[in-house]
Amino acid sequence: MIKVITKAVCDAGPIIHLDELNCLDLLTDFQEIVVPRMVCEEIRRYRPSALKGHDVSFTILDQHIFPDEPLLAICRIFSLDRGEIEALTLMKKNPQAMFLTDDASARLVAEEMGFRVHGTIGILIRSVRRGQREPEEVDRILSEIPLKSTLYIKHLLLKEIKSKIKKEFDL
Amino acid sequence: MKTIETEVPEQLYKKAKALVQEGWFRDEKDVFSEAIRRFLTTHQSELMEKFVRDDIEWGLHGND
Repeated sequence: MIKVITKAVCDAGPIIHLDELNCLDLLTDFQEIVVPRMVCEEIRRYRPSALKGHDVSFTILDQHIFPDEPLLAICRIFSLDRGEIEALTLMKKNPQAMFLTDDASARLVAEEMGFRVHGTIGILIRSVRRGQREPEEVDRILSEIPLKSTLYIKHLLLKEIKSKIKKEFDL
Repeated sequence: MKTIETEVPEQLYKKAKALVQEGWFRDEKDVFSEAIRRFLTTHQSELMEKFVRDDIEWGLHGND
């Protein structure tokens, strides 16, 4: 399948969570995955393996980028961390890109700024539509989230997602 | 008021203490209460569920 012409700016969460689930390859479907410097440092601290030893190619920025005052003020109000602030600063410069994050506050700010935002769950489910995984595999991976991943999701909601997948794909 | 006992990283504590010393908060308890309050404001269950549901819809029927 042809890659989508979409550049993605990535926060630490999706990279860490997809790696924990052995699904980091799903990101290869994007035209480019840009990782801000601070996000890269967070990943190196919490899950260094996520950035090496696989075929996913990240564009890691070699310098920190700084937000303008209004963005910094909003980020402070929402208590965003430095990685999220750098990612949103980058999004402001690339508004056509997609922002990938699992942080509710960062997502809230990004959506209010008008950006397209998605998280690990969306990327996993999208993999069926994009022909990267079979529906049965995604159903299994979703079951593994509480066991293998640090992505926290309400048990009942996870159950509901699995039901939707089963219904959608006649499993 | 409920009393809780928890461990926080040294750096985090130092930053909270600095805010108190600069006069922005009465004491460290106020700093942590405010931090938790803000976190809870932006991490409401309904909001997180909405984001997941949006992701399901995009995952299944999106065009990118």
